[in-house]
Amino acid sequence: MLSFLSFLLFHALIACAYASPDYHERLLLRPLPQDALLASFNFRSNETAAAYEQQNFRLFPRSLGQILQHAHTKELHLRFSVGRWDAENWGQRPWYGAREGSNGVELWAWIEASSEDEAFARWLALVNNLSGLFCASLNFIDATKTIRPVISFDPEGDHAGTSNLHLLHGILPHEVVCTENLTPFLKLLPCKGKAGISSLLDGHKLFDAAFQTMAIDVRPVCETPGQNCVVEMEQTVDMVLDIARSKRPRDNPIPRPRPIEEIECDTSKSYNAPDTCYPLDKKTEPGWKLTEVFGKPLRGACPLTAAEGPESETLCINAPPERTIEVNTTGHYTKSLSASDTLRCYKLPTGAELDLVLPEQRMTTGLIRGQPHLYAARSINGHGQERGSVQAVIKNPSPTDAVEFAYLESLPWFMKPYLHTLRAHVSTSSEDPLKETYYRPAVDRVRGTHLELRLVIPPASTLILTYDFEKAILRYTEYPPDANRGFDAPPAVIRILGPFQSADRKGLYLRTTPLLLSLPTPDFSMPYNVIILTSTVMALGFGNIFNLLVRRFVGADEVPAAGGLKGLIQGRIQRVKGRFGKA
Amino acid sequence: MSTGGNEERKNPPPETKHSLWLRRAVIASFWAVVAFLGLPVWWKTTAIYRADLPLQDMTAWANGQVCKPIFPIHIAVQAPLLPHDAHHLIHATQQTLNDLSDFPAHQLRLVFAEPPQPANASQQVVADGSGTAELDDTVALAVRLIPVETGATPRSQLQPFLATLDIYYSPSQIPSESSTNSPLATYIAQELHQLYAQERVRLSGLYSNAASQSESLSPELAVQLQRDSARAFKYAPTYHLTFSLFTPTSTPSAWDIEAALRQYMNPILESFSGISNFTIDTQVQLYANFSPSIRQPEYDNDAKAWTIFKEDVGGFINAAEWPLSPSIGRGPTINFALYVPDEAQSPLFVQGSRDNSWLVPQWGGLMILNPQSYQATLTKEALVPAMQVFSTQLSSLLGLPQTPASLPLRISTLIRIHATSLLFSASSTLGALAQVYQKMPTIPVPDPVAKSVDLSLAHLHRACELLRDGRFQDALENARTADGEAEKAFFERSMVGQVYFPDEHKVAVYLPLLGPVAVPLVMAALKEIKSGIAAVKGR
Repeated sequence: MLSFLSFLLFHALIACAYASPDYHERLLLRPLPQDALLASFNFRSNETAAAYEQQNFRLFPRSLGQILQHAHTKELHLRFSVGRWDAENWGQRPWYGAREGSNGVELWAWIEASSEDEAFARWLALVNNLSGLFCASLNFIDATKTIRPVISFDPEGDHAGTSNLHLLHGILPHEVVCTENLTPFLKLLPCKGKAGISSLLDGHKLFDAAFQTMAIDVRPVCETPGQNCVVEMEQTVDMVLDIARSKRPRDNPIPRPRPIEEIECDTSKSYNAPDTCYPLDKKTEPGWKLTEVFGKPLRGACPLTAAEGPESETLCINAPPERTIEVNTTGHYTKSLSASDTLRCYKLPTGAELDLVLPEQRMTTGLIRGQPHLYAARSINGHGQERGSVQAVIKNPSPTDAVEFAYLESLPWFMKPYLHTLRAHVSTSSEDPLKETYYRPAVDRVRGTHLELRLVIPPASTLILTYDFEKAILRYTEYPPDANRGFDAPPAVIRILGPFQSADRKGLYLRTTPLLLSLPTPDFSMPYNVIILTSTVMALGFGNIFNLLVRRFVGADEVPAAGGLKGLIQGRIQRVKGRFGKA
Repeated sequence: MSTGGNEERKNPPPETKHSLWLRRAVIASFWAVVAFLGLPVWWKTTAIYRADLPLQDMTAWANGQVCKPIFPIHIAVQAPLLPHDAHHLIHATQQTLNDLSDFPAHQLRLVFAEPPQPANASQQVVADGSGTAELDDTVALAVRLIPVETGATPRSQLQPFLATLDIYYSPSQIPSESSTNSPLATYIAQELHQLYAQERVRLSGLYSNAASQSESLSPELAVQLQRDSARAFKYAPTYHLTFSLFTPTSTPSAWDIEAALRQYMNPILESFSGISNFTIDTQVQLYANFSPSIRQPEYDNDAKAWTIFKEDVGGFINAAEWPLSPSIGRGPTINFALYVPDEAQSPLFVQGSRDNSWLVPQWGGLMILNPQSYQATLTKEALVPAMQVFSTQLSSLLGLPQTPASLPLRISTLIRIHATSLLFSASSTLGALAQVYQKMPTIPVPDPVAKSVDLSLAHLHRACELLRDGRFQDALENARTADGEAEKAFFERSMVGQVYFPDEHKVAVYLPLLGPVAVPLVMAALKEIKSGIAAVKGR
């Protein structure tokens, strides 16, 4: 339990140190079961509110700052994510899910505006500009993908001096997050991936990870309400690497079996022979090095970070005390232990590379993983092209606490839920878990469905939420390329309202996976066929009626001699016949 | 040809008049539906809305037939003389000026102004501008005649921060009533003529748009003017200034830019405030490396300094990595980049010179600063050379002429140049729009375009009148609006859509339906006309 506490404490430690206008960064490494490694990068830079207003940018990136000021955005949260957090194996999410996004791109922002229309116009300006900055299709967040959540999000910053803030939220589940999004992300950092922990970030490894999420959070932070304010930008990258996979060299990435001599075989198997082997689970932690796992060396400290104190220790590893960790560097570094020695932090040398080496080791103790507050899974049921149903299964593992949470769905307009079929069912109690519903129905091609529920789930029970929906038929031009793949429906966002509370204002979140919705897809050559077919039918009908009206009807023997082309051809045929007849 | 069947062929009975006319009526009614219903509906539904534009006016403006801008520059002469003498002097000077003039649109007009303080004002240097305060605001320059006893006379002195030319003369040089030729009048005329030489060249250059230089202009000056105008930004109502600090390492990581800008940049921006608005933003970018295409600096043993090659200066800015994206909002961004080299590679100079600042035409300015000491923060004092360089670069990027020495005079010259070039640019935009309208009958022209054109024309007229009155500042405002509206009309979004919709496309859509329908219609009509003609002939 001690080590679990250390995990909690560590994040609290990062959270409470944001008063001075400076730059902080920290990388937390945490081995996970099944040879996985969680790398949690956190960069935080501040700019005083006065300098920010005057556009004197030092640590805050100018490109982003100008966009935010242009769009009157007071608080911004932007997420790029790939993969799924395996809560069953990996336990509690990093930052309690507060720095995590739904698959693809997720954006929400508090925008200052005097009316809803103005707020929406500024929102469009914001997404268009961000789209250019981050090389992402954020400009596709239009009215149909924008919702205004009610209980799922609260501002993290201090907005005492500003009124008329509008929260807008948009998700692009189909967006493929890749290297072109990482490059602008790194450019926003003062040390630009050239020094400090950001020098470890590499597109090849990051987007090869089993789970990765990049987050940008901008918020105003004030010491006292309305005074000594700074604009704080936090950039976070969380990734779960498969150690064996990322250790493969880049020039030889094909996995190969280990030589049989190195494999420990299960000799109890009947088929065990010198050439057949049932490998036993190795009871050892795999050995790894920073340079191997990230593919790049750690190029010393970023000189902008604090020179001493806990903030200067920018590399931390959360491992059992018995785990051997060697440090390879030519420069001067310091090490400190905390949280019952389960957290080892290093102050990096400036200008010299540093490498951590963890040899393969047989462990007798392990860290206790933090248990998630909730588990959630969501899927589409049903068959056919017309209807379906969505089922969300939410499990409360706590044996004592009932958990209250908000459940937010933002569905595309072509997925039309029947709200009367919404059922929330808990196996262990007959009480209705649904406390509150906020629903804004979709309007075709104008806006999507916004469904927000407040639910309570009793201890040690499972809540099953279902509703039916109808699939709309799209217009010909509304289908994207590769329409047969299906359409992505955004994940549901779950925010835990109680009894657990986060130490700061970030909140506790989890997100389900996105859904793939298959819609009836037409044959795309159809319009041309339709044009030709209807034209033929109409021409046929018209020709018949017209001829009936215009032609003169005479007896069969009264037909005038064929003239024109027909007569000419007939004459020719007769002549040829005649010639053959003579011969 | 006909071989005849085996059976005997009968002729059909003659058609009754009734059925003949019925058939003709049927065919005619079908054609009537096509002509009076089908065609109008088709025409109406496929028509493109084209608002009416005053094409003739627009073309006339573009051809310069409507407005020949003239630049009457009112020059107030303050002389401690009797009105009679003064008028005589002014008359003589004006005469000489008119003889000197080689560009008729540019007219220097002398007017007599009462001297503010007749007694011992000559020795008093007017520093706060009160000397010109009571003058009409159309007066561009004040000439103060100051009688002196000592020193060479006549001599002149231009106030650097006032639009005032002081002429020192000895009282004996006042022309007498009878003389038509006076050395003082000639001197003043020549001084004034010289003062406006560069402005005349630039304005006449705008006028003819060709390189027709007046004879008085030396080839070097012509090249210089050409280069100046190639450097300068196109006029915009708003410019964004971006000051960036780049360093390949992590020091310096901050600069006292706010104070430096306040002290060194704000005064010059204030003097430009009548012409354009400015926004300022600054940034610090660490770990800014050169692009791989340029060679790394090399150590020059003779100069005891690091040098970069002259040919690499063009690629100095690593556009791919340095975040120098234009600012958001209308108007161009002027970039000023201050590069502080690595301490290990300091001092850094451009090969072959100790000059380490240069200007990138229509982009901004760049300077390599080799600080005395490497500290985390660049102080305001360390930024002084950079600020001086940047303010010089800013004035040439904004197209400020280099002579005369007086800043207000140069700025008023710039106002006239901008007003004229905007006038011409708006006119030519309108002309181009008129051409597009005439040459491309398939593009839609919505009403806002017509509205913008009307507005633009109205402002052009107003600007032209104001130029004639010598109210150049107001003329600039109007010309700016006219140009903005003309651009808005020309770049109207909805006008672009239909241009590339080819006629073949329409054929492909219409043919499957119209072909099979049209053939029986046409054939029936032809047949009926043929038989009608035959009947008429046979009668």
